[in-house]
Amino acid sequence: MTKRLVQGNEAVLLGAIRAGAGYYAGYPISPSSEILAQASQYAAGHPEFRFLQAEDEIASANAIMGASLAGAKSFTATSGPGFSLMQEAIGYGHKIGIPAVVVNVMRVGPATGMPTMPGQGDLAQSRYGSTGDYTSFAFYPSTVAECYEYTIHAFNAAEESRSPVIILSDAFLGHLNEVVDLDEIKVPVVKRTIPPLASGGTRLFSGVATYADGEPATADSDEYIRQYEEMREMRRKVAERYAFHEFGWNKASDTLVIAFGITRRVAQPLAPYFALFRPIRIWPTLDEELGAIAPRYKKIIVIEGSDGQYANVVERMLLRRVERVPLLGGRMSLEAIREGLDRIGMLPKESSTAAAEAPAEDGAKAPAKPKAKAPAKVG
Amino acid sequence: MAIKDKLKTHLFPTIWCPGCGIGLIMQQLASVMDEVGLDKDNTVLVTGIGCTGRMGAYMNFESVYTLHGRTLPVAEAIKTVRPELNVIVVSGDGDMASIGGNHLIHSIRRNPNITVLCNNNEIYGLTGGQTGPTTPQGTTTLSSPAGAAYSPINLQGLVNTNPNAFYAKTTVYHQGPMRKAIKEAIAWPGFSFIDIASQCIENNGRRIGFASAYEMLQQYKTEYKPGPRDATHLEPHQLGIVKGEPVTVAGAAPSGNGQGE
Repeated sequence: MTKRLVQGNEAVLLGAIRAGAGYYAGYPISPSSEILAQASQYAAGHPEFRFLQAEDEIASANAIMGASLAGAKSFTATSGPGFSLMQEAIGYGHKIGIPAVVVNVMRVGPATGMPTMPGQGDLAQSRYGSTGDYTSFAFYPSTVAECYEYTIHAFNAAEESRSPVIILSDAFLGHLNEVVDLDEIKVPVVKRTIPPLASGGTRLFSGVATYADGEPATADSDEYIRQYEEMREMRRKVAERYAFHEFGWNKASDTLVIAFGITRRVAQPLAPYFALFRPIRIWPTLDEELGAIAPRYKKIIVIEGSDGQYANVVERMLLRRVERVPLLGGRMSLEAIREGLDRIGMLPKESSTAAAEAPAEDGAKAPAKPKAKAPAKVG
Repeated sequence: MAIKDKLKTHLFPTIWCPGCGIGLIMQQLASVMDEVGLDKDNTVLVTGIGCTGRMGAYMNFESVYTLHGRTLPVAEAIKTVRPELNVIVVSGDGDMASIGGNHLIHSIRRNPNITVLCNNNEIYGLTGGQTGPTTPQGTTTLSSPAGAAYSPINLQGLVNTNPNAFYAKTTVYHQGPMRKAIKEAIAWPGFSFIDIASQCIENNGRRIGFASAYEMLQQYKTEYKPGPRDATHLEPHQLGIVKGEPVTVAGAAPSGNGQGE
């Protein structure tokens, strides 16, 4: 169609609508509130799109599970403590196998923290926020266009993995306006994968461990392990089709920078000096993809908006030490990155002058096209 | 059709203790569903955690066994997406009025066209008999050795904060009034809540001096009397239905009992 200014949060909503979302429930919380407000506006003109401003995030997250079981692709958006309140329902979705999307526009925590400042500190919670073992999917875009694109992928992955998939964003990205033409972004849409409620069966959708007939299996370890491993294997296979990442910048450098989400954009002036690995699929981790390139680099630096949540993961993935540049308290700026690099003795010598001369990224230009196999099942 | 078509009898006996009141609710619900034409193609059950929550597993319907306290947001969303379905919530007093209390007050406010059957045994039975939100003040429980400290929550008062809502009080002993309440609640065009006094002999009754479930039922028989017709308020131990002005909220479907009338 036409290029226009689109905000990150708006792009998430538009991606959800493009993916066929039919139900939104949410509770206002900065910096995600635009998604709630714009969903309500969309619902006013589209009666097939159902909207609930719920009493809290607990109700919101449970409502989208009910809506999905009833037959609608469903989603919610939140931030900070709201995401904490949703963890129980996310675990419920994983246990039962409910497709849904949860958008978390990250701010600085814990607790109420810094509601309008950007953070990346909810990575661990988006993987391990609920109790027990389960396989999380989380995608983290870097641009407004990607907010749209990966929200569609998130709905697709939710259907295929039969789980609540997380879209990670942050206060910076959510409130970023960029000129884009979203109609140029073509992502195939996956159809519903579970028959809606009252389709003629007598299924029991139980958060309690049960056998297929609905009898409690709450003391049967073998049955638990059988069900768990089946689910884990199914989700592992689905993840192979969503291995989104970017590998670029100066690949001939001896140092690899790992940065994701908005941080990768902020770090763009470092492009002449380092190679870049950007995970878009934060969970499950990209062990194979990162493992294939990491041995080429003497040093690895993880630049992120938390005190090492992803750096810890990289060390586990590669079984080697990495350097850390944590951007804390919402200070996600190039200056903060340079200070962090300086602290660990990794600030490029030419940085002060060369960076200014380096081709700075055009604000409207998306990073290089990420690599991933296309989802197989489309409709 | 018969009651047993509504039940997964091959899973019997149930996990409920001998003498439990929940089976008396399930039997009457199944019977009413049979009479008014609620079946697996037009009805969904939503149940909560606690002994009562197991009911969904024993009935021949699609059933969502939610997290503790979360029946109402799930049920409301199902009704929103599929207004043609009858959505019946079956849950305990702890699930409804304590951990799910915030959802309860807001569901009452929003007036969705769903029906709630609350098995009110005045105790947390499944976890062994701790004080619940409906436990009468002074009652000795596993977690109140000196007697429950606070007065119980006023479910009737809560439900009737919405002038359009439906509240019924009955007991498992009074099967006739319970049947009437379930039938009218299903037909009610909005939020309907049935508060069903029900005995928990194993994890409450014995601790407070009852020798058997029979004795607890006898107490319901003696204590509870019918309230006035067209009551606007029920006194403690009165059976009856308090109906508000029936309205269907904007955007919601008409009465959920489309197939049965």
